[in-house]
Amino acid sequence: MERRLDPASRVAPRRPRLLPHDWRGQAGMSIVLWIGAFFMVIPFVWMLTTSLSRKADVSMPRTPSLWPPDPSLFNYMIATDKLPILRLYLNSLIVVGASTAGYLFFCSLAGYAFAKGRFPFKSTLFILFLATLFIPFETRMIPLYLFMVQVHLTNTYLALILPFLAGGFGTFLMRQTIANIPDELVDAARVDGASEFRIFWTIILPLCRPTLATLAILNVIWRWNDVLWPLLVTSDTDMYTVTQGLALEGHSQGTYTGVALATAVLAIGPVVVAYLFLQRYVIRSVVSSGVKG
Amino acid sequence: MTPESSPPSRDSGVVARLRRAFRGALVWYGFVLPPLFLILVFIGYPTAIAFQQSMFTEVPGGGQKFAGTYHFERLLGDPVFWGALGNTVLLGVAFLVIIIPLSTVLASMLNRVRRGATPLKVIYFLPQLTSSVAIAILFHYVFQPDWGLLNGTLRLLGVNPLPLWLAEPRYTLTGSRAAATILAVWAGLGYFIIVVLAGLQSIPNDLYDAAAIDGASPVQSWWYVTLPSLRPTFIFLIITGTIDQLARFSDLWTLGGPGGSPARSLQSIVMYIFQQGFVGSDFSLSAAAAVVFFVIVLIVTSIAFWGFLRREFSAVR
Repeated sequence: MERRLDPASRVAPRRPRLLPHDWRGQAGMSIVLWIGAFFMVIPFVWMLTTSLSRKADVSMPRTPSLWPPDPSLFNYMIATDKLPILRLYLNSLIVVGASTAGYLFFCSLAGYAFAKGRFPFKSTLFILFLATLFIPFETRMIPLYLFMVQVHLTNTYLALILPFLAGGFGTFLMRQTIANIPDELVDAARVDGASEFRIFWTIILPLCRPTLATLAILNVIWRWNDVLWPLLVTSDTDMYTVTQGLALEGHSQGTYTGVALATAVLAIGPVVVAYLFLQRYVIRSVVSSGVKG
Repeated sequence: MTPESSPPSRDSGVVARLRRAFRGALVWYGFVLPPLFLILVFIGYPTAIAFQQSMFTEVPGGGQKFAGTYHFERLLGDPVFWGALGNTVLLGVAFLVIIIPLSTVLASMLNRVRRGATPLKVIYFLPQLTSSVAIAILFHYVFQPDWGLLNGTLRLLGVNPLPLWLAEPRYTLTGSRAAATILAVWAGLGYFIIVVLAGLQSIPNDLYDAAAIDGASPVQSWWYVTLPSLRPTFIFLIITGTIDQLARFSDLWTLGGPGGSPARSLQSIVMYIFQQGFVGSDFSLSAAAAVVFFVIVLIVTSIAFWGFLRREFSAVR
């Protein structure tokens, strides 16, 4: 059951058999791949060294170096001075946490009803939910922003959270997962007198754990990296998300290379460290859903 | 939700059955209505307003006047809009044309290599986890003409004159659009590789066995077996990649502000919507652009959904 529900199980390593073990081919491919990997990593290394170099704000060496000539945390001090980075992390954690928890909850709620419920207008409503997949956020962002202004929610967490609590994609994914759970399980609980909500909470949700994890990882990536919506509804520095603060500060620090890159390191560092621990699950989630982060 | 507390009703027939059906359905509405409410308020309502705004003009002092297609005519007569649309299409096409072959070659090697596949995958995927904002800030300096990582290295290699990258708004292979494309390919490569890898691993081994028996070399079997078998993966990547590229915003905004500096060479269609509505407060023009954007994405999404995604979605269980 668990295995069948896990969408990542289809990404198992498998290599063509019957191919001769060709060490020259292997060596050639390894070299090409590691050269590529070098190009992927080197900008990050350069970012780190430049952010650690105090001189980077005054004059950059015309030849890039991969070791700071004058290692110091000066740029980081300026960066944290200019931007309340801890506050920004708190904002991002609240916004990403609340919107992800809400998204999982409301999408599962609708998904359960569409998978196991019987009620008038079920398919019409389901099509309505799916129709939202065809509406890009960018089409409705300006009216949504004007709406937030109207109800005086700009510069609040609610403005950053509310628009992302339910959606067609999550509802669809949850409906597909729940539809695969045998009816007998649900019926047995019903005979025991459990309420529908109790069944949903204690039986259905635990069985959906792999899908919920996938959905949670994707949503965290989306919400964490989003900058378009925070730019519209928050203008108060104390309400910035990490990504938004980075976008605005990095921009205004144009000439202070070291400070801008130190801000960038502070903004992505914890995410990258978390990724190194969770990479297996993250990559699986992105692949299995076929949706980009 | 609570067990029936009233005594069992005596009235037989249709009324009782209807009532029971209704009571049974009520629970399910309890499940559906909260998310439905959220969707109507935060997705349905603003979308309707976007359509409405595109056809009305705000009258100073309150109220609205029907404007018909006036704002659409204004939009289509605006060279800045065409520039933004052109940029979006050009950058999107350049991105896909480069990244799909590149990721296919790298993924094929990654699939065959015996050592180090896992750390390589993690490294290639790394930028995907970094927000496109952070990547844009980093590359703003990587492309700096005097001392940036790229030009600094090119100088060491004796390149002269050095390219201007982000400071060059004209259509050249070393201008701002090229820089934005290199950035996007660098950032997106990991995702494309991982998806192609998944596609590679779903190719049945029998096909390779048959090719080997027929005496095909590894390169031949790659060309004649692997590539044709990856067709669904390519279709999927082209369609989702197109939708993604059409909505491109955060990296270009970070590089060039809402106007897509230099000289609007990096302004995308979403940046145009953002600039007209949020910066310029011309809500009707912004809404008209949003509606046009919606139609373009709808066409691509429809092709995706009916042609391919439906199958892809049902595979995810």
